[in-house]
Amino acid sequence: MRGYGVYLLTRLGQFVLVVFIGINISFIVTHSTPIDPVEATIAASTMFGAVNPEAIAIMRQSLKELYGLEGGLFEQYLTFWRRVVVLDFGPSLSAFPAPVSALIARALPWTVGLLVVSTVLTWILGNLLGGLAGYYHQSRTLRFAGVVAMAFHPIPYYIVAFMLLIVFGYLWPILPISGGAQINLQRGFNLPFLSSLLIHSILPITSLVLVGLGGWFMGMRSLVSNVVTEDYVTYAELGGVDRRRILASYVMRNSLVPQVTGLAMSLGAIFNGAIITEQVFGYPGIGHLLIQAVHAGDYSLVLGITTISIIAVSAAVFLIDLLYPLLDPRVRVR
Amino acid sequence: MSAAASTAPVLQVEALRAYYKISSFGLDREVRAVDDVTFHVNANEIYGLAGESSCGKTTLIRTIAAAIKPPLRVVGGSVVFNFAGRPVDMQKADDETVAAVRWKHLSYIMQGSMSVLNPVRRVERAFVDFAFRHIGKRKPEFLDIVRAHLQRLDLNPDILAAYPHQLSGGMRQRVAIALATVCRPEFIIADEPTTALDVIVQNSVLAMIRDVQKEIGSSLIFVTHDLAVHANLCHRLGIMYAGRLVEEGPTAEIFKAPKHPYTTHLVASLPRIGNTAPKKGLEGTPPSLAAPPPGCRFHPRCPLAMDICRTQNPPMVEVLPGRRVACFAVTPPGRAA
Repeated sequence: MRGYGVYLLTRLGQFVLVVFIGINISFIVTHSTPIDPVEATIAASTMFGAVNPEAIAIMRQSLKELYGLEGGLFEQYLTFWRRVVVLDFGPSLSAFPAPVSALIARALPWTVGLLVVSTVLTWILGNLLGGLAGYYHQSRTLRFAGVVAMAFHPIPYYIVAFMLLIVFGYLWPILPISGGAQINLQRGFNLPFLSSLLIHSILPITSLVLVGLGGWFMGMRSLVSNVVTEDYVTYAELGGVDRRRILASYVMRNSLVPQVTGLAMSLGAIFNGAIITEQVFGYPGIGHLLIQAVHAGDYSLVLGITTISIIAVSAAVFLIDLLYPLLDPRVRVR
Repeated sequence: MSAAASTAPVLQVEALRAYYKISSFGLDREVRAVDDVTFHVNANEIYGLAGESSCGKTTLIRTIAAAIKPPLRVVGGSVVFNFAGRPVDMQKADDETVAAVRWKHLSYIMQGSMSVLNPVRRVERAFVDFAFRHIGKRKPEFLDIVRAHLQRLDLNPDILAAYPHQLSGGMRQRVAIALATVCRPEFIIADEPTTALDVIVQNSVLAMIRDVQKEIGSSLIFVTHDLAVHANLCHRLGIMYAGRLVEEGPTAEIFKAPKHPYTTHLVASLPRIGNTAPKKGLEGTPPSLAAPPPGCRFHPRCPLAMDICRTQNPPMVEVLPGRRVACFAVTPPGRAA
C-alpha cells in the first residue's frame, strides 16, 4: 500500500504542475493579444457621441479594476492567480453584470451530462462490440456491426449531425431538434423535466455515439486479435476454461488497459468536442457559451472557460491514472 | 477397471494427417506438418518426441490435444484416448466432452510457459479457473488441496497471492507444472517445457516432472529438440523428420543402436566425454513442408539414398519387438511387403 501512496503523490504533483503551466499559458496568451478589452469597451460605449475625458478616465480605471488589469505585468499576474484560486473571473461583458462563474456554472452541467453519457456509452459499446468481434471473428452479425461502425467513422461529425436533424426533425419529426429541455418546465428532479431532458438528448447523444463508435471498435478489435494469440489465452483454451471467463478475464481485461488511457483522453477533450454538437443542436452548454463569448468579445468569459477546461482535463487524466493500478497490477509498484 | 483397460494404451494415434491449408489471393497452399503418423503411449509411460525445429512436433501434439484452429485442419486419421477404460476420440467428440476431459484427464505444459499465466490476475485465480470445476469441493477446501499440492512439489503456497510478473522464469515454469498436475490427470502433454531455462533450472524442472509423473502415475508425451533431455527422462522415443515419424523405440536402444540414417546423425552429433574429434554437420536443410520431396522426405540429405527412396515413401516397419523404422536401407522393399 505504501507503493500506491507514492504513486498517488507523484501523480498529484504532476496534476498540479500541468494545471499551473496551462493556466500560465492562458495568462500569457490573453495578455499578448492586440485587443485591449478595456479600450474595446470604452470605444464601444463612446461610439455614439463625445463623453468628457474625466468620465472616460474614471471608466477606464474601474474597468481595469474589474478585469484585473491594474499595475505592472507582475501585479496583474498576482491578481489573476488570486482570481483563479477562488474561481472568480469577474463580471461577464456580454451578459453584464452576471458574473462569469455563474454563467459557467449554469452551462457546465449540460455539457458534462451530455458528453460524459455519450463518451462513456460510446466507449462501452465500442469496446464490447470490438472485443466480441475480435474474439468471435467468424461471426457474421459482428462483422456486419463492424461494417456499420466503420461506415460512420470517416464521415465528418457535422454531416452526421445534420443528417440526424433532417431525418428525425424534418422527414419524420418525432424528436425535438433544439435545446436542452422544454423551457416552460420546472427544473429539478421531476418526471416531466427529466423525460424532456432525455428526449432532447437523444439526437445529440446518437450523433456523438455514431461517429465515435468506429474508432473504439477498430482499436479494441485489433487489440483483442493480438491478445487472443497470447500464450495465456491459448493455455486457458487448452485448459477447458469457460469461454465467457476467457473472454472477460483473459482477453478483454488485458486489452482494456490501453483503451482506458483513450477514455481519459476523450473525457478530457469533452470541452473541445462539445462546441459543434452544442451549436448544431442548440444545446445550452459550455461550447455554446464559448462561441457566444468569442462572438461578443467577452474577454473574461473566454478566460474563465479556458481555465475551467484546463482544470477539468487534467483532473480527468489524474482520476484515470488513479484507476490504472487497479486494472493492471504491473503498474502498481515501481 | 477391467484387465483389458489397464493393458490398452492410453493414447492411440492412427495414420494422423494434419495440414495447414492456406488460401490467399486465389493461391492455395498446403503445408503438410503432420503426415501419416501412427504411435501409441502406454499407461505410466514417458514418451519422448524428438526432431528439429519445424518438423511438426508442436502441430502433432496440438492435434492430439484437439487444440487446432484454422488454417490447421485434420485431414485424416484418428486420435483416441483411453481414460480409465472410457475411450474418447478427440476428433469426433463434441465440445462438452472435450471440455470435460481437459485438465481432469488431459493437461498440458506449454512451450514458453513463461507467459502462460494471465498477467493481470493472481496465480490463485489460474488454479480456480482451470481446476475448480473438476475437483468438486467448496472454495476453502479446494484451496487447501491446491496448497497441499504446491507443498508436495516444494513450492511455497504463498505464491498463490502473487502476480505472474513477480515470479522468476523457473518459478513460473514450476507453477505451470503444479497447475497441470493439480487434478492428477491420466495424460500430460509437455511441449518443450525446459527450452527457455538454463541448465540448472532445467535439471530441477525435469526432476520435478519425473517425480510428479511417478507419484500420480500419469502418461506423458514430452516434446523437445534436446536429445540430452530425452535420454535423461523418456522411456520410449519417437524421432520425427519433416512431418513424419521415422524411428521409434526404447530410449536406451535408440541411443545405443540407431537404425534410421537421420537418427544415426542425430545421435552422432551428441558430445561424448573423451571424444575430441570435430562433429560433422548434416548437409542441406530440412525440406519445406509446403512442397516436400517425393518419396522419402529425407532422401535429398541421406548418404544411403537409393533410387526407390526418390519415388516411394518407406513404411514404418517393426524391425525388432518395440522397434519401428521407416527406411528402405533398413528394410529393403522386397522384405517389407
